[in-house]
Amino acid sequence: MTIAPPEQAARKYDLGFARWVRGNVVNGEKMSLCMQCGMCSGSCPIGTEMDHGPRKLFMMIRAGMKDEVFNSTTIWNCTSCYNCTVRCPRGIPVTSIIQDLAAKAVEMGYAKDAQNARFAKAFWWSAVKFGRTDERLVTTKYYYSGGLVDFFKKGLGNLKIAMGMVKTKRMHIGMPHKIKDTKGLRAILAKAAEIDARESKGGAQ
Amino acid sequence: MSDRKPGVYICKGCGIGEAVDTGALEALASGDLKVPVCRQHDFLCGADGVATIEKDIAAGAVNQPIIAACSQRVMTDQFNFDGAQTVRANLREWVAWAMPAGEEDTQMAAADQVRMGVAQAGKMDVPEARVEEGLSTRIMVVGGGSTGLNAALEAAATGHDVLLVEKTGKLGGWGAQWSKRMPHRPPYRDPQDNNVSSLIKAVQGNSAITVMTDTTVAETDGMPGRFSVKLANGAGEKQEAVGAIVVATGWRPYDATKLGHLGYGASPDVVTGVELEGMLANGGVKRKSDGAAPKTVAFALCAGSRDPEHLPYCSSVCCGASIKQALQIVEADPEAMVYIIFQELRTPGTAEEFYRQAQEAGVIFMKGKVKSVGADLTVTVDDALLGQEVPMEGLDMVVLATGMVPNATDPDKPAAEDGAEQLANDIDPVAPIARAGAAEIATPAWGEAAPEGGPILNLQYRQGPHLPMLADGFADSHFICFPYETRRTGIYTCGPVRRPMDMAESAEDAAGAVLKAVQSIRSAQAGMSVHPRVGDLSFPKFGLDICTRCRRCTVECPFGAIDENEDGWPVLNASRCRRCGTCMGACPVRTISFDNYNVQMVSEMIGAVEIPDEFSEKYRILILACENDAAPALDMAGINRHSLNAEVRLIPVRCLGSVSMLWISDAFQRGYDGAMLMGCRSGDDYQCHFVKGSGIAQERMANIGQTLQSLMLEEGRAKAVEVSIADSAKVGKMIDEFVEEIRGFGMNPFKGF
Repeated sequence: MTIAPPEQAARKYDLGFARWVRGNVVNGEKMSLCMQCGMCSGSCPIGTEMDHGPRKLFMMIRAGMKDEVFNSTTIWNCTSCYNCTVRCPRGIPVTSIIQDLAAKAVEMGYAKDAQNARFAKAFWWSAVKFGRTDERLVTTKYYYSGGLVDFFKKGLGNLKIAMGMVKTKRMHIGMPHKIKDTKGLRAILAKAAEIDARESKGGAQ
Repeated sequence: MSDRKPGVYICKGCGIGEAVDTGALEALASGDLKVPVCRQHDFLCGADGVATIEKDIAAGAVNQPIIAACSQRVMTDQFNFDGAQTVRANLREWVAWAMPAGEEDTQMAAADQVRMGVAQAGKMDVPEARVEEGLSTRIMVVGGGSTGLNAALEAAATGHDVLLVEKTGKLGGWGAQWSKRMPHRPPYRDPQDNNVSSLIKAVQGNSAITVMTDTTVAETDGMPGRFSVKLANGAGEKQEAVGAIVVATGWRPYDATKLGHLGYGASPDVVTGVELEGMLANGGVKRKSDGAAPKTVAFALCAGSRDPEHLPYCSSVCCGASIKQALQIVEADPEAMVYIIFQELRTPGTAEEFYRQAQEAGVIFMKGKVKSVGADLTVTVDDALLGQEVPMEGLDMVVLATGMVPNATDPDKPAAEDGAEQLANDIDPVAPIARAGAAEIATPAWGEAAPEGGPILNLQYRQGPHLPMLADGFADSHFICFPYETRRTGIYTCGPVRRPMDMAESAEDAAGAVLKAVQSIRSAQAGMSVHPRVGDLSFPKFGLDICTRCRRCTVECPFGAIDENEDGWPVLNASRCRRCGTCMGACPVRTISFDNYNVQMVSEMIGAVEIPDEFSEKYRILILACENDAAPALDMAGINRHSLNAEVRLIPVRCLGSVSMLWISDAFQRGYDGAMLMGCRSGDDYQCHFVKGSGIAQERMANIGQTLQSLMLEEGRAKAVEVSIADSAKVGKMIDEFVEEIRGFGMNPFKGF
């Protein structure tokens, strides 16, 4: 099944959405096992930072509330602590489903302005390029992704923290550190992408 | 009994000897009470104690051993003697274990127990069985559906001939029309093959079972062992004799045309679960509008169920049936999307596995109430978990899981004119059962709750043609203790006519009802009572010389055991009688009696108690306790060493319905200060073992107030309370509170007169 572009979701409630999640989202077929007990939402340490808990998110999928699911902060604020997955009495890999929903949201053009999406992109860029995350580069790239005004606002706002980190040698100045074998890392990532393309249902991350 | 030879045997075991002075009790029995044989024993129920009694009986010295020991509910085998009638006086649970040891009041209570036992023996006779010859042992099963087929096979397996009567032309009922059935064997995961066709084959191949299709019951008369039924088919009418009747008439689906708000009738693609089942059994699910297989299907559960406008109750099987149908749709087309919209998904026991199977197969369950279904199949769900309305658009088919209506009436027969000929107005088939302190019971009038149609069996009873029903129109059933019993002895209901159930449950139910039917036939042969006084040989005797033909016994008998002849005299149908004594309590001239239980006997027991004079500051309060629930609760109070007030005198009665109001006025005239009736819960969810006894007692007690006023006594001196068998911790307190109330009134001024 292919991914429908967002503009096709004309209705607020789309009965086909649950079926789409089943067919396209990693572990999406397990979503129907949910018995709405709320263990996931009760266990979530970051639940207060989500507009809908995982339980409600699953119910929204069933009700076909596609836009609200993809625009929810739930999929972005998940910290992947796996509490929900470990505790789910029905054995549903909640974290995995939420993560892939986030990936699908990016692919489908939702979440253009989501801070977490922008940060994740900056993080991934650094990790791929250097095999490490360089605080200066990640933050710079992340701040800049929000536009020039946001860049200065955030950059200046955090200047004091940055200076403190430099002083205590928590952040170094100079060339970014690199891992020894970047070539090997790329090969690993390429292989991972290959496996993902082969085994996952929709597009790769 | 012409020659009564009582003997008092006082046990000193189980703490009785420490609590009371048994020597004084023996002296009382042999002295004042003039009982010729009186003995004490350290351990009366032991081999030596029993042998002592047996020796006296064998020597001809005693034929009424009065066992002053433990409750009448225990040690019944030990104290059961051939050729003698045992009387029990409860010194253990109601005195020694419940009252402080060695005190004067405790001793007085024990002495009164002995006095009451001796008084009881003086008015008891050994009942003689009314054995009748030539009774039929054939069991008639009404209804040839899955329940009826199982019942017929079960009855044949017990060695009885069976007459299976089916209204339609073929056997199998609804069950034969199902494609598959809900799983009833491990792993309880997938829909299983329907076995109704094999049941039909087994019934047709069984030589003990006579199958009559296209036949209805035109009339039913008689009683257990002697039912006479008139069966009607196209060819004419035929009289058959049967011993007992099992009613397995099943159910009919709720009329979906009443569900316009759920789109039924507005679109051809809104179908009922039964209609969908027909499609599944006949070549697969197709839309009625265009013949296409639906891709997206929504099931609306509780369609017209649990809804005060329609069926107020849960039909219990629609959840499982809808899961089954959803799985069948998904199995036929894995691309199909099925939504089940439920309020509460009721999948008890192994059905939970079935539910999980459906979830794993991708069926989407949504918790909420379907508010409306439009003609374009838009289902609006009030989603309980999202807290908002969700419009479901683009569905291909909507299935309404409609509920079960019991076939407690035959929809093809005209509704019987209520009251015509049979004086049915006296007892409405769905009459509310009175409850203490609640004059108004929200029970619908006859015709509102009862399913439309005429009587199934058309009983030729004085009480009317119908089997009594409960408020929702299901056949009456004592749901806690005696689920298959109806209020018509010898007629047992099973399957969905008595409560909603699936095929597996109704197969079990059929077995239960058949065993009850067998029991009623055997009991009729032996002249014994069926439940709950199983084995009781006594039966009500009418002293027609003073009978005023007031008809109160015939009206109040909960089981239709008493008819009237043309001249209005009561006529007992003995094997319908369950020996509760409600007729005895009803009789205003006290001319109904049992050999071993009668108005005079209890009056003598009440009179045997020694009433201290008005200067003693000792009150005496009479408690008549129903032996089914209240007396066991009082026993357990003693077992648990809860204290019982030493000023009360307890007398077990068969049922509060048997309480003659004479006993109450007698008690006050003899100087008792208060009287209390303790019985079971009345009302539609009654726990009374005789259905109406406690309710009737409540009504009678409402009138006793006037009697008390005419005696210039306070109305509050007599009251009736409801207890359950689990109230052992409470009964003592209830009694204490009542005693306090009585103390508030002061002593009965009649003392000493």
